[in-house]
Amino acid sequence: MADIPMRSRLRRYGTSYAMLLPFLALFAGFLLWPLANSLYLSFTKFDGINPAVFTGLDNFVQLAQDARFRHALGNTALYVVGSVVLGTLLSLCLALAFNGTGWLHRIMRTVFFLPSVTSSIALMLMWKWVLFPSDVGLANTIVGWFGGNAVAWLATPALAIPILVLMSVWGGMGYGMVLYVAGLGSIPEEYYEAAKIDGASTWRQFRHITLPLLRPVTTYVVVTGLIGAFQVFEAVYIVFSTGANTVGGVLDSGLMIVPYLYDQGFTHFRLGYASAIAWVLFLIIFVLSLVNLRVGRAMKEL
Amino acid sequence: MRRTMAACSTVLLTVVSAACATSGQTETKQADQNAPQALSFWSTGGDDETATFQRAADLYHQKHPNVTIKVQTLAWSDAYAKLLAAATSRSGPDIISGGMTWTIQFGTRGAMVDLRKYGADSLKAQALPAQWESAISPDGSVYGVPLDMSTMALYYRTDLLEKAKIEPPKTWDELTAAIDKLKAAGVKKPYSQDWGNLDWIGYFNYLYQAGGSFYTADCKPSLDTPQAEQALKYWVDLYRKHGAPTATVEGSDALDTGTALVVAGNWIAKGIDVNKPKLKGKWAMTTIPAGPAGPTAFIGGRAIGVTSFSKYVQTGADFVTFMYSDEAIAAIADEAKKRNISYISPRPDKIVDGSVFTPEQAKVFEASIKTGKAAPGCPGWDESAPDVAKQLQSAILGKSDAKTALAEAAKVMARNAG
Repeated sequence: MADIPMRSRLRRYGTSYAMLLPFLALFAGFLLWPLANSLYLSFTKFDGINPAVFTGLDNFVQLAQDARFRHALGNTALYVVGSVVLGTLLSLCLALAFNGTGWLHRIMRTVFFLPSVTSSIALMLMWKWVLFPSDVGLANTIVGWFGGNAVAWLATPALAIPILVLMSVWGGMGYGMVLYVAGLGSIPEEYYEAAKIDGASTWRQFRHITLPLLRPVTTYVVVTGLIGAFQVFEAVYIVFSTGANTVGGVLDSGLMIVPYLYDQGFTHFRLGYASAIAWVLFLIIFVLSLVNLRVGRAMKEL
Repeated sequence: MRRTMAACSTVLLTVVSAACATSGQTETKQADQNAPQALSFWSTGGDDETATFQRAADLYHQKHPNVTIKVQTLAWSDAYAKLLAAATSRSGPDIISGGMTWTIQFGTRGAMVDLRKYGADSLKAQALPAQWESAISPDGSVYGVPLDMSTMALYYRTDLLEKAKIEPPKTWDELTAAIDKLKAAGVKKPYSQDWGNLDWIGYFNYLYQAGGSFYTADCKPSLDTPQAEQALKYWVDLYRKHGAPTATVEGSDALDTGTALVVAGNWIAKGIDVNKPKLKGKWAMTTIPAGPAGPTAFIGGRAIGVTSFSKYVQTGADFVTFMYSDEAIAAIADEAKKRNISYISPRPDKIVDGSVFTPEQAKVFEASIKTGKAAPGCPGWDESAPDVAKQLQSAILGKSDAKTALAEAAKVMARNAG
């Protein structure tokens, strides 16, 4: 490439470059420019209306001392671990249970996949109704059938993260299941036949054939699950908001990073600080995804 | 690696929307006053409320045929963000309405017009002093004026109170005594709070009823007083000793599911009979119980103001002033009646006269408003309010005692006061 003169390269690839231009323009305008702008804003004090004032690393220093941010980070970590681990496990279980071609399996797969194609806003509004306090909500109606007293689901801090994990796992396991079903389909049947001839039990077949061969799917499910979980927003914003301008629920028990970013940027006019949060979040996800992929690759080489 | 990059880019695309903003202010060129003018008014609330304000806008059009004002609805849930986006891009509505302190938030940053320049401070004489004080900025600028009013009442189930052989409580002592009697009579849910449950608005009533306040007259935090502590202890006891639910149940749902006494906003009054037909004839309302220092109730409402990027500032300001006229208030009240909305005008002299409520209900609201106080207009309050609420919650949920919670809240308020 390097030794081909510029003019001849242009002649050869000119049309292709020209055809790429609309995409490149959109990419630059809607991704690169906002990215660069947000990086710049993360070093400024900016209220959205007055011009941004450069403040160096102030936002990041403040972030390190911000107890509410640490709280949001802690909550998010708990939530990510809970939802990714449980979500992945349940996806795999569902895939193992319903990976057949019969009508029952197809119906069950459709049923579990449905939440993944439903608007998340609609789902969250449904959850809000389910968890509605007093006897009006579905959850409390069920508690009532068993003679229990109405539970303040959304006003009990200890229940916030478990509820968020439950909502995430319920909504996401169908998607993971579909990926695992595809993964299971790609494992050659002969491996299992050979193992059976050698007298391997079902558990040993699962442990030594299914699990290792599903590793790429698992890595994909975990990494995408991780990214999705770190970005949780609607669940907190819709289900746990207690007023027009408050996020995070009672005692901030459901506060996560992105809702906190929203709170700082769009209700406190601290767009510079919100940009700093966005970049910290980016770094966290970037590093964790890298670690995940490395671990996945290292395990493959074993 | 490529996949990671792609995935991470997606993350960024989602979270950096905060960055899609431009800055820089320019003086907006004002349009010719006699040429046709089309103004847009973004009104926070429901579509029915938009229709009531549109009636006033149409009336204004009749008087000024060259001016057309179109009222559009902004839902409470995303209004603030939409208004911020409009202020940031310096394009959008000419007139806005929203939470009482929003116009101050936008105004101190240069996105709203100080209406004093257009004579809107003359409205002060007509407005409720407590609400007016809450609407003006700490430096005295009038970026918005009250558009309507909201207050609280004690709604109660007449059948359940009869069963317990009690009258609606008028004082703190009577309230706790009533809860005990209701429990003794087999009422499982004696009391709940719809507006301000676990929040500073709920505490506001008790604080002022005990003779306390959030700030002193010169805006020094004043939560570390015996009055504030007495109020918080009483409020916490309502939850911890008397079983008030920590989860907020909408007022009419609470009454419908057997709660005997419910503190809720005026906006549910008109809808109960329609939404819960079984409750018809079984409920009534009165003012919320008074404390040792008197019967103060919280006053809220919406503020209306003109954006600094409007081409029709003069007309916008004139329309805002027009909203206080007898005819505009009558038109809004008439439309509110048709649509069964619990509207209270920003003029205290119009609460009974031309009210959308029954005479008895109007009298309750009038009494409540007479003794009412609004959110403090002190610097840093908006920023402190969520943290103050959290301290109150920690006292209610038993994570700290009243005194510590209040001292912590006062500290946050002092820090944010600058």
